[in-house]
Amino acid sequence: MTRIGTVALNTFREAVRDRVLYNLVFFALVMMAAAILVGQISIGIEQIVIVSLGLSAISIIGLLISVFIGVGLVSKEIDKRTLYALLAKPLRRWEFILGKFAGLALTLAVNTAAMAAGLFLALFYVKHSIERADTVVLVAVYFILLKLALVVALAMLFSCFTTPLLAILFTAGLYIAGLFVHEMRNMQAGMIDPAIGRLLRWLSYVLPNFENFDVMGAAAHGRVIPAALIAQNTVYGVLYCAIVLAVTMAIFSQRNLK
Amino acid sequence: MSLKSYIALLLFVLLGFACVWRLQERIDVRQRAMVSEDDQLMLRSSKLVKGLSLEYAPLVADIYWTRVVQYFGNKQAANQVDLRLLWPLLDVTSVLDPQLMPVYHFGSTFLSDASPGGAGRPDLAVELLERGLRANPDEWRLYYDLGFVYYFDMKDYAKASAALYEGSKNPKAFIWMKAMAAKIATEGNSTETSNFLWQDVYNTTKDPLVKQNALRHLQLLRAEDDRKQIDTVADEYQKWFGRRPVRMSELVQSGLLRREPVDALGYPYILSEAGKAELNLKTPLRDKWIKAPASK
Repeated sequence: MTRIGTVALNTFREAVRDRVLYNLVFFALVMMAAAILVGQISIGIEQIVIVSLGLSAISIIGLLISVFIGVGLVSKEIDKRTLYALLAKPLRRWEFILGKFAGLALTLAVNTAAMAAGLFLALFYVKHSIERADTVVLVAVYFILLKLALVVALAMLFSCFTTPLLAILFTAGLYIAGLFVHEMRNMQAGMIDPAIGRLLRWLSYVLPNFENFDVMGAAAHGRVIPAALIAQNTVYGVLYCAIVLAVTMAIFSQRNLK
Repeated sequence: MSLKSYIALLLFVLLGFACVWRLQERIDVRQRAMVSEDDQLMLRSSKLVKGLSLEYAPLVADIYWTRVVQYFGNKQAANQVDLRLLWPLLDVTSVLDPQLMPVYHFGSTFLSDASPGGAGRPDLAVELLERGLRANPDEWRLYYDLGFVYYFDMKDYAKASAALYEGSKNPKAFIWMKAMAAKIATEGNSTETSNFLWQDVYNTTKDPLVKQNALRHLQLLRAEDDRKQIDTVADEYQKWFGRRPVRMSELVQSGLLRREPVDALGYPYILSEAGKAELNLKTPLRDKWIKAPASK
């Protein structure tokens, strides 16, 4: 556990050294501009625009970090040959994978928390108050974080057996597919071959369902998100990450590093 | 990794996905209860979407068209009559790719058919088809579709005839289009013409949904024809016995009918209290008859 924690902490430090958190400046600029401009160019939807824009920015920035850094977590260590020095120490391969995952998850958590704080500041600027109903925005941020963790796990899985470019493409492809699982499940039987319909339905349950984590609309309109859904999505995210990481660890432990 | 580890991993993955499946079903239930799904289309401006599509407009048009089909299909499956997004979706799709023929052909059907089969907006169907004709003046099929909408949904027989005649000038057009244009110009609405047009759709289409729709209209046309004939027989009965029949069996017993007539789905027709022929209360056609009469 200590060894995993050490790897995780070093991954976080490395991300900070690589100026990953500089994106926060960009986010802050976007939110400030939006907060100032939105009041001038719209009527009645200031809060909705701020929440939608803020959550979208958190999601997009987080996704870029998850995919690009997630893919590089393992491949960079191999390219720089720092992995050999690490594995020569009493560190198992699965511990390395888990540590790397935890490190990037920590980076994303810090990054997302800072952006959420920025979002609330912009919201306060627009509304001049923060209400209890605004906590739904926090739930949306939490769901984004769960989604990002899942994307990191997938990026790491693909980077273990293919090139970084292909891993990025596979991760992005799976992410996009995961946004359309609902459509996949509800394809009309009359319009497609029944066998393909059954296959799509099966796939819709096996593919990571990123739609589960999309509550931006509800957050923007201040709708309550049931506690049961938060719990279910948490279990879903953790379980899916566990499956993907288990497969990643199995592949990485078999990989010939010579 | 040992064989045991492989088996353990496989079991973990399988069990994990089984749990994910069950969990997903519960999340679906929760989300359905939480969200009352609103019809939303973020980008309604076709010009804006075209601009944003860069050089990939045809591909984006394909995606929009797929969305149209899914939207329409889902609404039909859920028996929802509110199709307010249909026109904006078709509008954007046809601007993105003006040469995408299915948009005009199927889109005009979706728009013009009366509710609940369609959006009940033949005016928009005409606008869509005219847009298609401006972009594709050589597509005689669009004139055929236009004539169809004018004939069945707008009951504007002069315009229906003109559209069919215009289309018939194309050498590739159906050979009967000119004759049909003349017939409609002379007679206006007739069951024979309606039957011919729907039968042609039924015979030529490859799309199962359109085929089913054509079959439904043919069955309703037959029912309308049958009802007229039964009413004529009932009139005859009244002449003989001095009163209207109230049961179909009376017509059979009198020898005016050999057996109780049935509709296209095998359900016997019934007589109303006024002695007029009606569809059986149990026939699925009855529902369609009330909502979308074949003669329109």
